[in-house]
Amino acid sequence: MAEPAIISVRGVDKVFNGGSDRAVTALQDIDLTIGRGEFISLLGPSGCGKSTLLRVMADLTAPTGGTVTVNGKTPGAARAARDYGMVFQQAGLFEWRSVLRNVELPLQVAGAKKDVHRAKALEMLELVRLSEFAGHYPWQLSGGMQQRVAIARALSADPEILFMDEPLGALDEMNRERLQGELLRIWGDTRTTVVFVTHSISEAVFLSSRVVVMSARPGRIAASIDVDLPYPRTAETRTTPEFFEKVTEVRKALHGAPSEQAAA
Amino acid sequence: MTATNISASPRPPAARKSPKPAAPREPGRDGALLRRLTDPLGALLVVVALAALWEGYKAFGRAVDDRFLGLGLPVATDDLSMPHLWTIVGSLAAPARAGDSTSLAVYLIGETTVTLREALYGLGAGSLLGLVLAVLFVHVAPLNRGLMPWLVASQTVPLVAIAPMIVIWGGKAGLPPWAGVTGIAAYLAFFPVTVNSLRGLKSPPTVQLDFMRSVGAGQLRVLWSLRFPAALPYVFAGLRLAATASVVGAIVGELSAGTGRGIGRAILTSAYYYSNGPEKLYAAVLVAAIAGILFVQVLALLERFALRHRHAR
Repeated sequence: MAEPAIISVRGVDKVFNGGSDRAVTALQDIDLTIGRGEFISLLGPSGCGKSTLLRVMADLTAPTGGTVTVNGKTPGAARAARDYGMVFQQAGLFEWRSVLRNVELPLQVAGAKKDVHRAKALEMLELVRLSEFAGHYPWQLSGGMQQRVAIARALSADPEILFMDEPLGALDEMNRERLQGELLRIWGDTRTTVVFVTHSISEAVFLSSRVVVMSARPGRIAASIDVDLPYPRTAETRTTPEFFEKVTEVRKALHGAPSEQAAA
Repeated sequence: MTATNISASPRPPAARKSPKPAAPREPGRDGALLRRLTDPLGALLVVVALAALWEGYKAFGRAVDDRFLGLGLPVATDDLSMPHLWTIVGSLAAPARAGDSTSLAVYLIGETTVTLREALYGLGAGSLLGLVLAVLFVHVAPLNRGLMPWLVASQTVPLVAIAPMIVIWGGKAGLPPWAGVTGIAAYLAFFPVTVNSLRGLKSPPTVQLDFMRSVGAGQLRVLWSLRFPAALPYVFAGLRLAATASVVGAIVGELSAGTGRGIGRAILTSAYYYSNGPEKLYAAVLVAAIAGILFVQVLALLERFALRHRHAR
């Protein structure tokens, strides 16, 4: 990759219940360098530690060994500086706050002035095309719309990195494909670095500039595959032979990986 | 009040429970209107049914040892034991004491406001203590484990045994008698607030806690922007229980306190002179009950306002 590294993971291990007989090695000796502006997918079967790796980078889980650098800092410092935004599988919106006030929350935590964060939040809602729902409450929105609000919320403090932990996993296929397109547009507009966890091969190939394939028990990186399909990618991209070739290549890497079960 | 029924479940936050809500929709206003009409109607029906039960039971006999269908009635139905409802209500308009110009109703309402003020102060102090304890417990787990059994124990000690103690201590400390009564109300009020608030403060799902961490929020910010608002429905459930408990506490407290004021005292006095006018005791109890209901209803109104934007009413 030509771009300078924004995230670097060196020899990271993660053992749960360490020391006991129920010890589980979730990650073993992970090395990964992510360049500025990349769209990286972490792909693998369930239990391969892809979410754990993301949580280690986000300082939501401490690694057992190894070092992680995020935007030139420790993950903890990067988190405190709001260098990244995060989207989870559930939108996790605060049901007592309107859509607008949900998006404002990271700016409020950052201590921004009210008129500043109001304007910024409105801008973010425009980005995810939900401006007319600013005054609605989360329970009045569909699952897909809630997830778009979560994306707006994650981006409102202008982070350099966007961590996404299976953000489209709970959506139906139609919504899913529509949001994948939206996500690429947002990525193109904001030029953030995206680290995206998924267990869907086609989703990973369609979105990413690079797919990092992981294997399970213990979680390791099995392959790193560049996806050189040109952006902007559209619905037509999914029907091209190049797309199918890439999907096949990733599938082979996934199945060749020493794991008991393959991902869907 | 036992430890088993202090934890009322608030309505669960529905946004989390239903994975896929339908497309954008407006809150159901038509249903709310219908409910606004049927709710008081239902309450009225209950009052009518209770009145019919009272008078119906009374109609079966006139004196002690009445029999109906060969069975002895458990409570005598003569006018001394069970005055007619109209006698009770009528006594409210009569003078409180012979030769007195104020009616019984005015006298009882006056005493009730004294009691409600004690209950309100007790509820305020108790709820505040309850909230502070819950916040401490959620952040300091050993405190929770160590102190909670004692709090449970404190609520199983009979109130009638504790009430005089608190009143005596208050008196020794130079506090006015009503302060002791307020203390008893607070003693009963804090516990349901603690238990329910604790549950509420612990209610945010992992994803919301993770999110707050991901934006670099500290403990205080998490408490203020996530735990408190998430706990609000639970806190109100606790407050509802605490409100009834504080009224009970104030009334029982008055029985032990030498205040000479309050509806508890009024009930005691009319019980003492029962044979002079049994309807006066029932009138006092009736006023106390209505006051208690109103007290809790004010809180319910406050709750409805505070939670107006939440789903699942």
